[in-house]
Amino acid sequence: MKLYEFEGHRILAKAGIESPFFIVCSSIDEVKQARKRLKFPIVAKVQVLTGRRGKAGGVKFFTKEKQLLTFAKEHFGQDFMGEKVRFVSLSQKVEIKKEYYMSITYDTVKKLPFLIFSFQGGIDIEEIKKKDPSLIKTFDIDPISGPKDKDLAKFFEQDKTVLADFALRLWDAFSRYDLRLIEVNPIGLTADGYLMAIDAKIILDDAGLLRHRDLDILPKGAISAIPTDREILAKKIDEDDYRGSAGSTFIEFDGDVVVLASGGGASLLVMDSVIDAGGRPANYTEYSGNPPAEKVQKLTKIALDREGLSGCLVAGAVANFTDIYETLRGFIEGLRQVRPKPTYPIVIRRGGPRQEEAYEMIKKVARREGFDIHLFGPETPISVACQKMVELANDYKIRNPKHESRIDSYH
Amino acid sequence: MAILVDRETRVLIQGITGRSGVQVTSELLDYGTKVVAGVTPGKGGQEIDTVPVFNSVSEAIKTVGEVDVAMVYVPPLSAHAAAMEAIEAKIALVHIFVEKMPVFDVCQVLSLAVKNQVRVLGPASVGAISPGEGKIGSIGGPAPDNVFSKGPIGVISRSGGMCSELGLLITNSGFGQSTVVGIGGDLIVGTTFSDLLIEFEQDRDTKAVVAFGEVGGSSEIEVARLIEEGKFTKPFIIFLAGKFAEKLPRDTSLGHAGAIVGMESTMAQKIKALRDAGAIVAENFEEIPDLIKKAVG
Repeated sequence: MKLYEFEGHRILAKAGIESPFFIVCSSIDEVKQARKRLKFPIVAKVQVLTGRRGKAGGVKFFTKEKQLLTFAKEHFGQDFMGEKVRFVSLSQKVEIKKEYYMSITYDTVKKLPFLIFSFQGGIDIEEIKKKDPSLIKTFDIDPISGPKDKDLAKFFEQDKTVLADFALRLWDAFSRYDLRLIEVNPIGLTADGYLMAIDAKIILDDAGLLRHRDLDILPKGAISAIPTDREILAKKIDEDDYRGSAGSTFIEFDGDVVVLASGGGASLLVMDSVIDAGGRPANYTEYSGNPPAEKVQKLTKIALDREGLSGCLVAGAVANFTDIYETLRGFIEGLRQVRPKPTYPIVIRRGGPRQEEAYEMIKKVARREGFDIHLFGPETPISVACQKMVELANDYKIRNPKHESRIDSYH
Repeated sequence: MAILVDRETRVLIQGITGRSGVQVTSELLDYGTKVVAGVTPGKGGQEIDTVPVFNSVSEAIKTVGEVDVAMVYVPPLSAHAAAMEAIEAKIALVHIFVEKMPVFDVCQVLSLAVKNQVRVLGPASVGAISPGEGKIGSIGGPAPDNVFSKGPIGVISRSGGMCSELGLLITNSGFGQSTVVGIGGDLIVGTTFSDLLIEFEQDRDTKAVVAFGEVGGSSEIEVARLIEEGKFTKPFIIFLAGKFAEKLPRDTSLGHAGAIVGMESTMAQKIKALRDAGAIVAENFEEIPDLIKKAVG
């Protein structure tokens, strides 16, 4: 999970890394109040999760209240690089002599955490790399013992003492809070020789969140900073029940075919196949690891609770240990609760433990309750079942032309 | 021959008394795998399906003798301690089935594993099966013969479901598998595509390898390099999934923790590197059997 800059500064503070004093505002009134506690010049920063906001005009210095308020009014509630702005932070401008870059993340090839450092801070690390790769230095970290003070001092060459201290604090935050990335760019060297985190970018490891319930973090969406209602509901399914997973990843699109995929790998194949066949997924989501029926039922209800659908695809590989009868029973129970009752075609393609039993049950329900369900077993490749879904959805749209109008823009 | 697991493999299960531990024990015994001990701290002295349970790995080994594989079937936040215990006991292969293990824990485990010359498979790995010989983990579930059959094709996937799916596709087209391995979908895993290709290269029973690749990471690029360097010389057929996700913003995570949009290599870079190295990249999933026929026919 990516954090807002101000959430990042709070984590840095826990490791003893200082940031310029800042106040987070969520309305014009709060900006007016906050500015009384600060002296001009004031730095105003739009809080969004996308990088490079400075270049896009999201970070500005102000010497007068009027311009500051205009800036805030322009951004609150508005779209900024594809994200709705909820917060603007105000901070005192700090005089700095030099700007450095430092981050810690994982090297997935060496399978180690490592530190990246540059004396050329303040610009994007990718750009430093393009300009002159020799300006970037890396330091591999033993994940068990952590970095050693004396090795770090050797590594930094200049401003050794403060930089090594900063690196140790960064490591403390990284290891203590299960971070996937911690990046401070720039680190400002003040006139009296201190280092300050002028910016903070942090990505949390979602698998570690359980042991950091004390961190005060706002919920985030899969794509944008602000989750959609369906994303929030879907995420909650796993938070309430640890068995298997369902809905932790839920991404909404503008399409008309709901996808309830199973498995991290198969779900990718399903999405690609639907799109290759000309279909438009309404969402990406995934359940796996043998979740109980109730979790699939909840996910089904959440995903199907929208208008303008022309199909629902339940697809996954031949399961190893997921009980197909249980998960499909969950799907059917969820389906029954959807209002208005779905009349669009439903394609199910699954295999694995108790699949045949599950299909017998579904056939009965479909006949009795009048659902248009098409069942495919392991003998039909996933991609072929996906093509069938798209054909059926297209037929449905032709028979129900009013659907066509509101479906556009996935492609 | 096959790789990782055969008829003689002796297995210890950590977390054997838990729900999935009990289930996997009976599945493995049914398949003929030698499950010689289980470990659950505090539950020593019990028996699960005739398998004796011990309080610790060292106690188990003292009683039953050396084991080849430890399988970790414990809750996500206990996986670190369990895996470290197995690695300290120098068990040659530690299979971590556990999903949602924090990446920091994974790194510590892998770091100790390197020092102790232990191979780790996983985390979030469904396991490995050498059809007709033996299996570790939950691969194939209670009925592995429904999808897997003995033959000359090695199979690798991050995803457990796709292991079965590929197994079935290959079985239905008249071929069988030497060994099928699920390496796990996490950001960092102990055994990579490349590690397994080096094993498959040595394995006389394997004539070609089929793999299921995904968006994110750089394991496919490593494979391309391996082939280019002549370290893997058999036909390598790969299907790459997750094209759709490249339209999503950078850093979006998908079902697998390792499937992160924009991380490291793009799909186009992977395809190009693989093709340039001489790998066979399948355009459609269902054409894989034809590609196998052409490669080893």
